[in-house]
Amino acid sequence: MPGRRQNPNFRKIMIGYDGSKQADKAADVAFSFAHSVDCKVLIFAVARPPEPATMVELDAMLDDAREHYEQQFKGLVEKARSMNVDVETAIAVGHPVEQIVHRAETDHVDLIVLGRRGKSRFEKMLVGSTAEKVLRYAHCPVMVVR
Amino acid sequence: MTPDNDLVAESYPGNDPFNVTRADMQNVWVLASVWVGLALIATLFAIWFRISTALTEIVVGTVAQLIIGALFGAASLGGNSQWITFLAGTGAIVLTFLAGAELDPQIFRAKWKEATAVGLVGFFGPFLGCTAVAHYALHWSVRSSWLTGVALSTTSVAVVYAVMLELGFNVTEFGKAILAACFINDLGTVIALGLIFSPFTFRTLVFVVVSVVVFLVLPFVTPRFFRYYGGRVSELEAKYLLFLLFAMGGLAVWSGSEAVLPAYIIGMVLAGTVGKDHVLVRRLRTLTFGLLTPFYFIRAGSFVSMPALVAAPLVFVFLFAGKMVSKIAGLFPTVRAFKYQRQEGLYYTLMMSTGLTFGTISALFGLSHGIIDQKQYSHIVATVIGSAVIPTMFANAWVMPRHLLPRKEDAAEPGAASARKEPATAD
Repeated sequence: MPGRRQNPNFRKIMIGYDGSKQADKAADVAFSFAHSVDCKVLIFAVARPPEPATMVELDAMLDDAREHYEQQFKGLVEKARSMNVDVETAIAVGHPVEQIVHRAETDHVDLIVLGRRGKSRFEKMLVGSTAEKVLRYAHCPVMVVR
Repeated sequence: MTPDNDLVAESYPGNDPFNVTRADMQNVWVLASVWVGLALIATLFAIWFRISTALTEIVVGTVAQLIIGALFGAASLGGNSQWITFLAGTGAIVLTFLAGAELDPQIFRAKWKEATAVGLVGFFGPFLGCTAVAHYALHWSVRSSWLTGVALSTTSVAVVYAVMLELGFNVTEFGKAILAACFINDLGTVIALGLIFSPFTFRTLVFVVVSVVVFLVLPFVTPRFFRYYGGRVSELEAKYLLFLLFAMGGLAVWSGSEAVLPAYIIGMVLAGTVGKDHVLVRRLRTLTFGLLTPFYFIRAGSFVSMPALVAAPLVFVFLFAGKMVSKIAGLFPTVRAFKYQRQEGLYYTLMMSTGLTFGTISALFGLSHGIIDQKQYSHIVATVIGSAVIPTMFANAWVMPRHLLPRKEDAAEPGAASARKEPATAD
């Protein structure tokens, strides 16, 4: 692309997207970064099944999640394209940390960008932080956007 | 009854069977608000803790019965009221139908040999094993023991499917065979529940013959009927399906069987047609989750006696161990025969999980037909919950670290390995 030079350290970056405001903010930062280094962007969302799953509830949840994220991806893809950023989207099912880390490895992602959700102490104690765990387990650099 | 507190009766004076007092209706609405309020609480817990709504509804039902029963009397939750029984029963029937409709006929056609063999073994192992444990170790009666075997014979298709999706096995031959096997396993449970306790009279014969004809005709008639008359605001499709489910359920109960048996098979035979109509399935889900299943699962939970569970915790241990051991004993040679070796550990783990729907339906059937008492019911439901939750936790603990284990190069870096040792917990 004219005026931009591809950075060999960042060929592909991943946005861990959960539909929150922080994730939107992270997406904005990721698009700007991708534009400046001319790299591809993968917008990745994870639908988490309830446990233990029951069949009808699981299928309903997956349908809802797919529809929800596909709708949200449309806006993000438009925004990325308006910035001349090459973008792809994907939805996985499972534990967010595990899926983000695994997908980042298999897709040879060079940077993971996540939004940090302002959880209360109780929430953190109860469920932990996705960003912290991705930071701990990812094979590549992780950018957490506040 | 006084005229000033009886709106309806003013229109129907005397000893009219339609004479519904304002107090009666007030009681119904108050009770309905209590039940839906409990469902709301259960749903919030499900959202906060990211666990299935069915599980939270059962637990909320148990706790609510304990508290409300202690404060206002054992019958104040009204679990045996006719209208609650109807809503709960309808919930079980529609939920079972929807579960059957999730079957993918193409997967089944492609893998029917493995699916049938593994599914039948997956059913008969715990069915016979848990029956034996209940009878010989717990000294329960023959009928109670059979019922225990039926309730614990299921495999949760959803638990298996969820993990398959996570690992991407759902598109592999291995994954497809397992999923189809789970449907066969559950079909075994439903047929056993429907027929073992049936008296086998002329009525049973009528039920079987009519069922076979209906199951054969439905896949041809239903799509055509929907094509001509469906797609209108009058929700003809939902009425048609509810009519079928109620009619076949009524016939099943008349013959001494169980209404969920035809519901599951109707779901399976319509899986390739109605099951693919996402709009219709969604509308049925709204009806089911929004109104019906909360009544079903909360009611199922409200019959669980906590004192009975606390008084004899070893019963749970026996039943749980019986389920696990008999499932492995049955599946091990079968899985080896089909040369599944790499993933068999995962396979066993998943196949051990009991479905909450069929497990509780079986237990509730036993309780309402006097086959088991409330103590036995409590132990069976506790085991159903335990064998739904524990294998899921085990599968998570085992599957999760797969991508998170320290790699060789990390071990050489000081600090890197220790950072990765900490297992990831649920987010």
